Amino acid sequence: MMKFWNKKKHEIKKIQTQLNDQEQASQKVADKYNQRPKKWMYNGGIALLVVAAVVYAFISSEISIRDVDFATQFYYLWRGFTHPNTDFLFDMSKGGVPYLTLETIAIAFSGTFLAAILAIPFGFLTAKNVVGKHWSKLGEVLLIIIRTFPEIVLALVLIRVIGMGATTGALTIGIHSIGMLAKLYAEAIENMDQGPIEALDAVGANVWQKIRYGILPQVIPDFLSVALYRFDINVRSATILGMVSAGGLGAPLIFASQAWNWSQMSSVLIAIVIMVITVDFISSKLRQKLV
Amino acid sequence: MLAAKTITLPSGKTVKQPFNKIIIPAAIAIAVFIVCSWVVLQNKGTLKLYEIGTIFKQLFSPTDYPAMNIHHTWGDYFGYLFSLEIREALGETLRMSFIGSIIGSVLCLPFAILCSQNIVKTKWIYVPMRFIINLVRTMPTMVMAVIAVSLIGMGALAGIIATSIFTFGIMTKMLYECIEALDMGPYEALQSCGANKTQAFFYSVFPQLLPTYLGYFIYNFEINVRTSIVLGYVGAGGLGVILQANMDSIYTRSRVGAILIMMFLLVLLMQAFTRYVRGKLQ
Amino acid sequence: MIKFINTGKKYPNGFQALENINLEINDGEFVAIIGLSGAGKSTLLRTINKMNAATSGQVLVNDKDVSKLEGKELRELRRSIGMIFQSFNLVKRASVYKNVLAGRVAYHSTFKTLFGIFPEEDKIMALEALEKMGILDKAYERADRLSGGQQQRVALARALAQNPKIILADEPVASLDPITTLAVMDDFKRINRDYGITIVANMHHVDLAVKYADRIIGLQAGKLVYDGPSDAIDEEKLIQIYGRSLHADEVHGRVDAPKIKDVAGTSVFDKENKKEKKKSVKISDVEGE
Repeated sequence: MMKFWNKKKHEIKKIQTQLNDQEQASQKVADKYNQRPKKWMYNGGIALLVVAAVVYAFISSEISIRDVDFATQFYYLWRGFTHPNTDFLFDMSKGGVPYLTLETIAIAFSGTFLAAILAIPFGFLTAKNVVGKHWSKLGEVLLIIIRTFPEIVLALVLIRVIGMGATTGALTIGIHSIGMLAKLYAEAIENMDQGPIEALDAVGANVWQKIRYGILPQVIPDFLSVALYRFDINVRSATILGMVSAGGLGAPLIFASQAWNWSQMSSVLIAIVIMVITVDFISSKLRQKLV
Repeated sequence: MLAAKTITLPSGKTVKQPFNKIIIPAAIAIAVFIVCSWVVLQNKGTLKLYEIGTIFKQLFSPTDYPAMNIHHTWGDYFGYLFSLEIREALGETLRMSFIGSIIGSVLCLPFAILCSQNIVKTKWIYVPMRFIINLVRTMPTMVMAVIAVSLIGMGALAGIIATSIFTFGIMTKMLYECIEALDMGPYEALQSCGANKTQAFFYSVFPQLLPTYLGYFIYNFEINVRTSIVLGYVGAGGLGVILQANMDSIYTRSRVGAILIMMFLLVLLMQAFTRYVRGKLQ
Repeated sequence: MIKFINTGKKYPNGFQALENINLEINDGEFVAIIGLSGAGKSTLLRTINKMNAATSGQVLVNDKDVSKLEGKELRELRRSIGMIFQSFNLVKRASVYKNVLAGRVAYHSTFKTLFGIFPEEDKIMALEALEKMGILDKAYERADRLSGGQQQRVALARALAQNPKIILADEPVASLDPITTLAVMDDFKRINRDYGITIVANMHHVDLAVKYADRIIGLQAGKLVYDGPSDAIDEEKLIQIYGRSLHADEVHGRVDAPKIKDVAGTSVFDKENKKEKKKSVKISDVEGE
């Protein structure tokens, strides 16, 4: 790399001397050369700032890794992961991995289903071309609030109200997902073709008929695709929610980790990997069909 | 409704109406939903709807507990909101996600190149590479944090590891998809005038990639702040730690509320910041 | 019968799109409106079904003042007037049949139509309309699978399904290629002749207007400057309407010679050119199959 730069510098010098040689003829070139954009100060400043931030972050976080015996830890990790707890993995009772995996997917699916329906009015009320600019801003703020509230915290609050369990998990996902779904719904509504609505106007359709025959057929495939995408995300979230006892695979995972039971942990992780990959695959296939 | 119907027009022509294709997938979706909600409803707690109001009051206002001789004022509430504990936790959250984003996005560079079909033309390199990346991406950050915490103990380092791995996974994927969508004309042009592969990469692909790369970095930084806020709940440092510490006791609810407010503000600020920077990057 | 009495239209930004239009269009006529872009062609057309409301004067459709209609009455008027758009305005993801059926919604209650319930006659009517346009075999295909010409025929079928007395066409062929343009214009002519439906169309291509319409209305800066039979139009009158000689893009011209530069008067009306056009109609028939 350095060599290349030196070569480049050399070339520039050469050009400069050449310019001096043929002053009259290449005065224009020289002028242009002098007018070249000089952004190095701005770019360099920003680069310096970033580097300083990185250095400061590393120094100030006082990371100590002295008292960790990595070799032993990794040995246990490796042993555990290569010897998953098969009894737990194939335990068909309600406390076993298969049922908990099913429960996780069920939490994600019913939560997403709820959110996908609840988000429709929110989506319409946030779309600029439906309610106008000002109301749309209001809706947007509301959706940002919903999205910003961390899922786990929402689950913790809901647990106090409706108790522990998978139902809480599903409701958490149902409420939290509205934020993103409604935003993407609104975008789909804003991007749709206005033509059919104009045509329905000319046909004499009223507002509801315009929505039913002009808007819905255009946006429903988009809505479904967005909801499927969110289902992908929610399968991952549902695993996490178990950690605060809102049902699913998270609970055995955190118990295993607290007991340093690596083999039990590895059975849960195997289930997570298989579940996530399968769901990703199915949902991406379905989304391709929707377009 | 399911069977195909034949309609005869006045002109004598007949039209076979195909059955409505939407019905079957819709029926499946509803059936799956019913099964899923049945499964979910098997595991439910006791409903205490009247708690909603109490909880919000406890969270977002100073609450007195005369029996315990605890008396809070708004002064206490706001005092805690800007206390050293919260400020330090905020700082740790930000640092954790920043360092994690940096490590992840630096690590992802070589892997993204190895994953892109149009630069590495050998199938047996980019296919297994992509498989590994996809495997990494299946793990939620929180799960990574759980593993990291039990491996190296509680603290910011576990959080950094978790966010680094997450960033690494998602950045590699985004980046190689971006590289594959690039205009390879300049790359070939440079090679045609004698540059070697590395030179050609840094003078044609890299400049095209740089703004996107920075944009992705900022985007990931924002996501990481969001996730690392709660990572502390499993012991991986940051705001989550004090959230967890105050969560269990009923007498520290107002502290939890204050922490929630700070979390919210942090995420909002991050959103505004990333929007600004991405606007600058175009 | 459509009657304009001192009709004017002023947009909120102060732009006077139409001024003192007095006009009578009889039942069963094929009328083409020509003029420069911005002359008010579209506005004039859209005042007929109050897609744009006239701001002064009256627009009478069958002796009812359109500009005073509101709500249900307006919708009832609109359902008896078909409208065709430059960009077809179909729901691209829905089937052709559903698009045509949407032309019937105004005849039924909101409640029933929300659940997609239509009486049997309506379904047959929609299919019949498709048959009239020669695209019955495409009935259950998605609208975006069809070519531009076919999509415009679907739009025409939607209008026919309304059972209209009048069809308004706003630049119906402006986004079609030269060959399909002629085929679609033939369809308009056929509808006009066979079903006696009044057709009022905005035309960008003057030669097409002259070829297909019975009567030409020329607008200039919102004023009526020409109204007469299409065979009486000549270069002088065109200059009167356009204020200049025609540009190449205002003439549809010869299908096989897209590079005509300045055809003012000459290639539009010479016989040789008309022969060429007839030939191309045949080509389009073949390609349409």
